[in-house]
Amino acid sequence: MVAAEKLMSVRRDWRERDVRVVLVALIIAVATVATIALFASQLQRTLVTSASSFLAADRQLEAENGREIPPEWMHEATRRGLETGRMIEFSTMVFGTGGFQLVSVKAVSDEYPLRGEIEFQASPDGTRTLASGGPAPGEVWINPRLLRLLELEIGDSLDVGSRSLTVSGLLIREPDGGFRLSALAPRVMMHVDDVPSTGVIQEGSRVEYVYLFAGEEPVLDEYHEWLKPQLHPSHEWEGVRDGETFSRSLQRAERFLLLGGSLAVLLASVAVAVASRQYSLSQRDTVALLKTLGLNGAGIGRLYLRRLGLWGLAGVVGGLLVALPLFWLLTRILSDVLERPVDFYLDPAALAPALLTALVSLFAFAYPPIRRLRQVPAMRVLRSQPGESGREAIPDIVVAILAVFGLVWLYAGELVLVVSLLGGLVLLLAVLGLVGWALMALLRHVKGGGSAWRLALVGLYRHRRASLSQMAVFSMTLMLAATLVLVRSSLLDDWQAQLPEDTPNHFLINISPGSVEEVSEYWQENGQPLSQLYPMVRGRLTELNGRPVKEAVSKDERINALNRELNLTWMASLPADNEIIEGAWFKEGQTEGVSVESQLAGRLGLQIGDRLTFTIGSAKVTEPVTSIRTVQWDSMKPNFYMAFPPNGGLTDMPATWITSFYLPDQGKQALNEFSRRFPTISVLEIDHIIERIQLIVGQVTRAIEAILALILAAALVVMAAVVSATLKDRQREGALLRTLGGRQSLLVRSTMMEFALLGGFAGLIGVAAAEAAVWALQYGMFEGSFQWHWPIVISVPLVSAMVLALFGRWQLGPVLNVSPMLLLRRLE
Amino acid sequence: MNQMAHPNSDQRQPMLKVSHLTHRVSLETDTLTILQGVNLEINRGESVAIVGRSGSGKTTLLGLLAGLDTPSEGKVELDGSVISDLSEDARAQLRARRVGFVFQSFQLLPALTALENVMLPLELAGIEQPEARARELLERVGLGERLGHTPRQLSGGEQQRVAIARAFASDPVVLFADEPTGNLDNRTGQSVSDLLMALNREQGTTLVMVTHDEQLAARCGRQFHIEAGELTEPGSAREAAD
Repeated sequence: MVAAEKLMSVRRDWRERDVRVVLVALIIAVATVATIALFASQLQRTLVTSASSFLAADRQLEAENGREIPPEWMHEATRRGLETGRMIEFSTMVFGTGGFQLVSVKAVSDEYPLRGEIEFQASPDGTRTLASGGPAPGEVWINPRLLRLLELEIGDSLDVGSRSLTVSGLLIREPDGGFRLSALAPRVMMHVDDVPSTGVIQEGSRVEYVYLFAGEEPVLDEYHEWLKPQLHPSHEWEGVRDGETFSRSLQRAERFLLLGGSLAVLLASVAVAVASRQYSLSQRDTVALLKTLGLNGAGIGRLYLRRLGLWGLAGVVGGLLVALPLFWLLTRILSDVLERPVDFYLDPAALAPALLTALVSLFAFAYPPIRRLRQVPAMRVLRSQPGESGREAIPDIVVAILAVFGLVWLYAGELVLVVSLLGGLVLLLAVLGLVGWALMALLRHVKGGGSAWRLALVGLYRHRRASLSQMAVFSMTLMLAATLVLVRSSLLDDWQAQLPEDTPNHFLINISPGSVEEVSEYWQENGQPLSQLYPMVRGRLTELNGRPVKEAVSKDERINALNRELNLTWMASLPADNEIIEGAWFKEGQTEGVSVESQLAGRLGLQIGDRLTFTIGSAKVTEPVTSIRTVQWDSMKPNFYMAFPPNGGLTDMPATWITSFYLPDQGKQALNEFSRRFPTISVLEIDHIIERIQLIVGQVTRAIEAILALILAAALVVMAAVVSATLKDRQREGALLRTLGGRQSLLVRSTMMEFALLGGFAGLIGVAAAEAAVWALQYGMFEGSFQWHWPIVISVPLVSAMVLALFGRWQLGPVLNVSPMLLLRRLE
Repeated sequence: MNQMAHPNSDQRQPMLKVSHLTHRVSLETDTLTILQGVNLEINRGESVAIVGRSGSGKTTLLGLLAGLDTPSEGKVELDGSVISDLSEDARAQLRARRVGFVFQSFQLLPALTALENVMLPLELAGIEQPEARARELLERVGLGERLGHTPRQLSGGEQQRVAIARAFASDPVVLFADEPTGNLDNRTGQSVSDLLMALNREQGTTLVMVTHDEQLAARCGRQFHIEAGELTEPGSAREAAD
């Protein structure tokens, strides 16, 4: 079957323009989805690896009961191929030349850290270097502040319990130096093997054993599954996704990538649907001829199904050939941005969405119009038959919408996202139908204007069906792209708002009531006024409505806050980033009551009016709950579970004061001076933590921008594909106009105007629909608030008008430079 | 000539028999009758011209005779099969084996070469060694040197020659031609119709041609006139009675 084979060969198909459009759309679809899926998976790995360093591992197992875990657990992890390490954290007194000090010790094994690096300095004046392991046995690295406090020098010995260890370096930053107010004492890092010889850990000591694990995600998950049934309530398995500070950033980034992927799917589908409909229209004559030559409906069906299969194959192969170098390029860019090598890892699972997209695109979007070719009457060879009325396409549209629904749901896994996107699209189509109809009715009555202008309007009216469907595709494309831009900017704004430049990066703790004023004055003089100081009283929550709290609360609830002393405070006004969700804040002069943080209140099952008893030293304070409020834990400001009114339950309790403030790098001198003047006040430097958070936000932002650029490029190609679908008709018209004496400049002006009008309207409608979709998304997913985005509302229609005008000009190219006679013959 | 006849054909049976053929199309407001009570018998090996003005219904009649469409009423029998009762698929099968077409606008597939265009019906009918047969036919129509050319590289007359070669490729028993010279200038038209007539004679095919060209019609054995959907045969008993 040489001729029939050839009729169906992809190579021959490629010579037909409509097929080229279908194939290019398919290749773009597969390439975009594959690149995004690969890149998203890569980014995920990179981010997780990068964020993992905050745990110094991929996972941590904490045992807070002061007992080590059974050795078999670690053996099992090793047997499964996981890297392991361990550390012991405890507080103790250490002795140096200048006295003694309560410190927080972290004793680490040789493997520590499994992820990330320790920043350390060999001497106070030395340069900071990154170390991949902790101190050797017999040595300690200490916080620079401790060096001053104990008047130590490098090489001196420090007594930890009954063991003397040599100070061999200064600990600047540890990868898992998370922000914990409980770890206020200066840090000492030692080797875990030295711990027994110190004799510090006794039966009943408050010790935290931490076990570190790193390895492939599936292995870690399997290990956790194995471990789960054996864990005691006091064990805590912590992954990077559970970490408080970064999980939100990661989740948002992940959602954004998925949203991007879904939009790419939509764009691709639109392109494939448009192109294949064009193709099927162009095939009607061929099908009629084949029927005349004796091919029956089933034969036609088989022929085109095979053809579709070949396209699918070509699309997938072509798409992957495009995606792989693109992905490679993106990982290179990512490496540069992150200033660290990113390994090129092809996740086979990430290719599945691309294959699925190709399959669904072909069968839900390309196949329906092609399937209808079977019904083309043979009589068409003798006489042109009425074309498709559009009514036949209704079931196709239903199938397409269902397919899009399924795909987006699959990729994004968010019903809200799917519903708001599709809601946006339906709204768009409804508005489009209405506006388009009104527009066309209006165009009919347009008189006046220059001849180019009138020609443009007449052109729009004459092609009203094609114009309306093109407008539908353009506005849909623009809506998707605008949605992405809008979501991206609100996402980034939120992040920046979350951690502005002047985020407090230093805490002052343990300020005695007598020195509060002096401290305030000191920082006032040094140009860094302290905004707010909070009193802090250490106390334990012991009773709930007169019953011991551990009995009153369900045993299943393991509540950290009940196992340790809480930082209690009093304040007159509610901090700006807190929000009352139940009850009311203290009125002026009110002395009774306590305000409880909402999550803790939820876990304890507290209601307004419940009576809480706190044990503070030897005293007991009982107060009713008067309000429940939310707290921004990642605001880097002092936050409290329990707040009392001034002159309330905490009056006369021993309090110290705490504050946080922003200190730029150049202010470090003032800090050293401060430490000398107020040796009893603890300074907690968290600027490194903030830097890390900002770095991660930066990484995610850049990745999002790269993917956004990719999707915008895809959108542009989709628009080009749609415009070129009517290329032949428009060129024929152009040639005719020139034959009839139209000047080139008239042709250029009127065509550009026609396309600019089309683009402008499409842009307006698209951007309005995008605002509607974003409005829905904001509420459902990103917890933001709605507002008009004027720059986008104005720029999208303008840019789209300009881009389309250029497309129009580009289409005209061949018409302008070739003799009309030749062109008409060629277009026959 | 006999060796070219279809193996199943019965020489005594007419090749085409049409009785009480009526065709109507529904428009938005009313129904338009295009053909009205057409009766016609065409014998094996005959050449017949149906002449009429534009809009007289001749193309519709051709479509119904060839089984490209089904009539509103009446019966069409082609080579012993009542094609007006057959399904679209069965008619397609019949066309593949027994019917050839020549169109006014040639209807060649632009992406295929001349040779491939002629091979296509042979392949669809499952005939062995289609290439040899296609080459032979193209040589017969004088295009032996242009086998690898696509329609775009051929003139109108040459394209119609390829179409004629394609029409005869599967040894049809009936050939339907719709204004075969309508798109050609006089001279080219003349040589194309010469070729069509010559091949028709050689192959012993029954030819049914629709045309408005009286000269071309005159070269056929019988002529029918069609006007306002009614068919008449000049010089026949009915015409004499009129």
